[in-house]
Amino acid sequence: MRLWMFELRLLLRARLAVIALALLGVLTVAALGTGMAEVSRQRAQIAAIPEAQAEDIAAVADYVVRTEDAGSAAYYSFHPTWDAPSPLAFAALGMRDVSPFILRVRALGLEAQVYDGDVFNPELALPGRFDFAFVLVFLAPLFALVLFHDLTSSEREAGRLRTLEALPVGGRRLWRRRVLLRFALLFAMIAVPFAAAAALSAVPIATTFAVIGIAGAYLLFWTLLALLVARLRWSSVANAATLAAVWIVLVLVLPTLAHVVINRAVPVNQGAEIALAQREMVNRAWDIPREDTMRRFYANHPRWADSPPLTHEFHYKWYLAFHQNGDESVAPLVQKYRAGLERRAALAESLGWVLPSVGVQALLTRMADTDLEAQLAYQDRIRAYHARLREFYYGYLFRDLPFGRADFDRAPKFEEGNQ
Amino acid sequence: MSPVRLIAADELRLMRRNRVAVTAFVLLVLLTLAAALTSWTHQQGIADLRERHQAAAAEAFDAQPDRHPHRVVHYGTFIYRPLSPLAAFDPGVDAFTGSSMFLEGHRQNSANFGDVRQSSLLIRFGQLTPAFVLQIVAPLLLIFLGYGAVARERERGTLRLLMLQGASRGQLVRGKLGALSLVALLVGLPAMIGFALIAGEPGALALPMIVVALGYGIYLAAWVVGIVAVSAAAQRSRDALLLLLGIWAVVAILLPRIAPDVASAAVPLRDRLQTDVSIARDLRQIGDSHNPDDPHFAEFKQSVLDRYGADRVEDLPVNYKGLLALEGERLTSELFDRYSNESYDAQARQNGIINAIGLVSPTIALRSLSMAAAGTGFVGHRRFLEQAEAYRYDVVQRLNQLQADSVSYADDTASDAGADRRKRIEAGNWQAIPDFTYQAPDGAALTARALPGLGIVLAWLVLASLMLWRATRRLGAK
Repeated sequence: MRLWMFELRLLLRARLAVIALALLGVLTVAALGTGMAEVSRQRAQIAAIPEAQAEDIAAVADYVVRTEDAGSAAYYSFHPTWDAPSPLAFAALGMRDVSPFILRVRALGLEAQVYDGDVFNPELALPGRFDFAFVLVFLAPLFALVLFHDLTSSEREAGRLRTLEALPVGGRRLWRRRVLLRFALLFAMIAVPFAAAAALSAVPIATTFAVIGIAGAYLLFWTLLALLVARLRWSSVANAATLAAVWIVLVLVLPTLAHVVINRAVPVNQGAEIALAQREMVNRAWDIPREDTMRRFYANHPRWADSPPLTHEFHYKWYLAFHQNGDESVAPLVQKYRAGLERRAALAESLGWVLPSVGVQALLTRMADTDLEAQLAYQDRIRAYHARLREFYYGYLFRDLPFGRADFDRAPKFEEGNQ
Repeated sequence: MSPVRLIAADELRLMRRNRVAVTAFVLLVLLTLAAALTSWTHQQGIADLRERHQAAAAEAFDAQPDRHPHRVVHYGTFIYRPLSPLAAFDPGVDAFTGSSMFLEGHRQNSANFGDVRQSSLLIRFGQLTPAFVLQIVAPLLLIFLGYGAVARERERGTLRLLMLQGASRGQLVRGKLGALSLVALLVGLPAMIGFALIAGEPGALALPMIVVALGYGIYLAAWVVGIVAVSAAAQRSRDALLLLLGIWAVVAILLPRIAPDVASAAVPLRDRLQTDVSIARDLRQIGDSHNPDDPHFAEFKQSVLDRYGADRVEDLPVNYKGLLALEGERLTSELFDRYSNESYDAQARQNGIINAIGLVSPTIALRSLSMAAAGTGFVGHRRFLEQAEAYRYDVVQRLNQLQADSVSYADDTASDAGADRRKRIEAGNWQAIPDFTYQAPDGAALTARALPGLGIVLAWLVLASLMLWRATRRLGAK
C-alpha cells in the first residue's frame, strides 16, 4: 500500500500527467453538461407540443363543425408525433440534431410527409456535437498517449532504467503498478463523471455499467497499444509521434475513407424518386375515372368496399383513397430505399469490429437510441400511428358519419415507443 | 550555398532519412489525392443526378394534362439544389441540408434527402474532402515533421556547434522554416491539383478560387511558423511535440465542436411545429377566408367590387375565387417570409458566435472562409432557400392568376356532372410557366464574405511570426 502511495506521489509530481488528467476530467464534465443541456432542450420542445397542438386543433374544429365533414377534419388536422430522447441520449447525441424528433402528420399521403425535416442550422451540425461519446472516442486516446508514451523510455533517457529493473520491488511489478495506477486515473476521469451524469439522468444501472465497460475496454485498447509501442525501445518522442499517427489513422482517416466507400458501394437515390413517383400517382387520380381509384382502393381494403357509390359531388373518401393508393404504389421503392439505408448502417457497424473508434461510437449511439436505426424505428412508429389515423377517419368517411367537435378528441393519440 | 540553404537542405535530408516521416508524407499525399478524386467524382455524380431529377421534374410539370389551375398549385414542382463548382473542393454543408424540395401552394416544405440522414454514423467523423485534409490532417503531418526542427539541435548540443561555426540564430531558424515550408507546399500540392481540375469546370470563378488558395496557404504557413516557434522555445523535443499536439487538438478538433453548442445554447431556434402553429394563429388573426362575415375578407371583396364597379362577385369580369386564392397566398407567403427570415437571422447569429470563436481557432476561421468562398456555407444555402421560395410564390401566383382569368366563376362554383370538365384549362399553360434556375452569386460577393475569415487567418500568421521572432531571440541563451 505504501508503495502505491509513493507511486501516486511520484505521478502527482509529474506536471504533464497531472495537467492531462485534470484537463480530461474537465472536458468529460463539460461534454456531459452540453449533452444534458441539449437533451433537456429537446425534452422542453416535446413538452411544449400539447399546448400548441390544442390551440391549433381547436381552430380546425371551429372550422370543421360548420360542415361536420370528416374529410375536412382529416385534411386540416395535423397530428403530432415525437421521439423522446432515451435516458442515455445525453451521452451520445448521434443524429438527434439533424433528424427530426417532432413531426406532425395528417391522414393524407404519408410518403410526402415522413421524410420532412425540422429546422436546424447546418453549419452547427457540420463539425458534429460535443458530447461524451466525442470525448471518449476522439480525445481520450490522446490523453492515453500523453500518459503512456514515456513510461519506460523516460526512465531510460534519465538513466534510471537499469537501477529500477534491479530493485527488489522493481522490474515487472513496478511497471505493472505504474501502468495500473495511470490507467485507473485515466479511466476514473471518464467513468466517474459519466456515472454521476447517468445517475442524474436516470439511466438504468445495467446500461451505465455497460457504457463504463465499453469506455474501459476502449481505453485499455489505447493503453495496450502504447505499451506495445514502448516495447520497441524507441525514444519518448518517437513513441509519441507513432501513437499520434496511429490515432489519426484510426479515428480520422479510416472512418472518413470508409464513409466514402460505403456510400459508393450502397447508393441510395430512391428518396427523391419516391417523392416524384408518389406525387405523380396521387395527382393522376384527378385525370382518371374515379371508379378506377375506388376499385383499386377497395381491392386492398375490402372492409370499406360496401360504402355507398360516389356521386358527381366531390367526396373526401375518394380523395383520401387516392392518397393511400399513391402511398401503396411506391411501397417497393420505399422498401428499396430503406434497405439501402439499413445496409449502410450495417456496413458501418461491422466496420466497428475492426475499428475500435467506430465500434464505440456505434455501440454508444445504439444504446442511446440516437443512430440511423433509431431514426428508422421512429419512422416506423409514425407509419403505425398514421395507419391508425387513416382507419379513424375512414370510419366516419366511408360510413358518412358526421364529424363533430367531440370527435376531435376521439382521434388516436401518438404513444411513445421508448421503453 | 548560403548558411540558410545549407541548414534547410540538411533538415530536408534528415526528413528524407526518417522512414516514418516519409511514409506519413506519402500517405498524406495519397489521401489528399484520393480525397480530391472521390470528392470530385462524387460531386459530379450529385450534380448529374440533381440535373437529371430537375429535368424530369420540369418535364413532368409541363406534361400535365388539361387541369384546373388549383390542381396544379397542389401538384407543385420539385427543385434540386445545384452545386457550385468549388463544392468538389469544399462541399461545406451540402451533405447536411436536403438536396430536393417540393414546392406547392399554401405550404413551405423543408429541403429533404440530405446525405446526413441517409448515411451511417461515419458521416459524423468528418468527410474526406480536400478541404478536410488540408484543414485537419495536414497541420498534424507538419507537426510530426517539424516539432524537432530546433529542439532536436538543442537537445543534442548541435545548436551550440552551429552557432560557433558562425551561423546566426536568424539563419538557423530561417533554414528550418524554409525546409518545413517546402514540405507544406508539397502537402498542399495534391489539393491544388484537385483545385486545378475544378478550374477547368465551367462556372468556376477566379476570385473566390484565389481567396481559397490564399487562405489555405496562409493557414499552412501559420502552422509552419508556429511549429518552428514552439520547437525553438521548447526545452525538449518531446515537450514541443506534446504542446503542438495539444494545440492542434484544441484548435482543430475541440473548439470546432464546442462552438456549435455554445451557439445553440445562446440563440435558440423555433422548431417547425411551433412555427406552423404560430403562422396559423397569425393567419386567423388577419382573417378567415372561409367565413363570409370576416372583416378582412369582406373588405377585400368590397375593394374588388369597387375596382370593377360591380355589385356582386357573379358579375365580375374575372373569377373571384381566383382573386381570393391570390390574396390568400399573398398573406400566407408574407408570414412564411417573416418567420423564415426570423429563423435565418437566428441561424446567422449562431454562425456569428461561431465565427467569433474563430478568433481563437484558425481552423474555424479557415473553414468559414473556405465555405464562404465556395458558396457552400449557410449563406449559400439560405440563398437557395430564398430563391426557392420566391420561385414557389411566383409559380403559385401565376396559377392563381390563370384561375382568375381563364376559369369562369360560374364553372368554378358548379358541381354538376360536367363541371369538372369545364373547370379545366389548356395544358399549354403549364409550359408557359418558367422553370427554376438558380442564380449563383458572383465572385465578388463570395469573396467579400470570405474576407473576415482571411483576416483572422492572416492575424494568426502574424501572431505566429511574433512568437517565432521572440523564440529566435532567446535561442542559445541558457
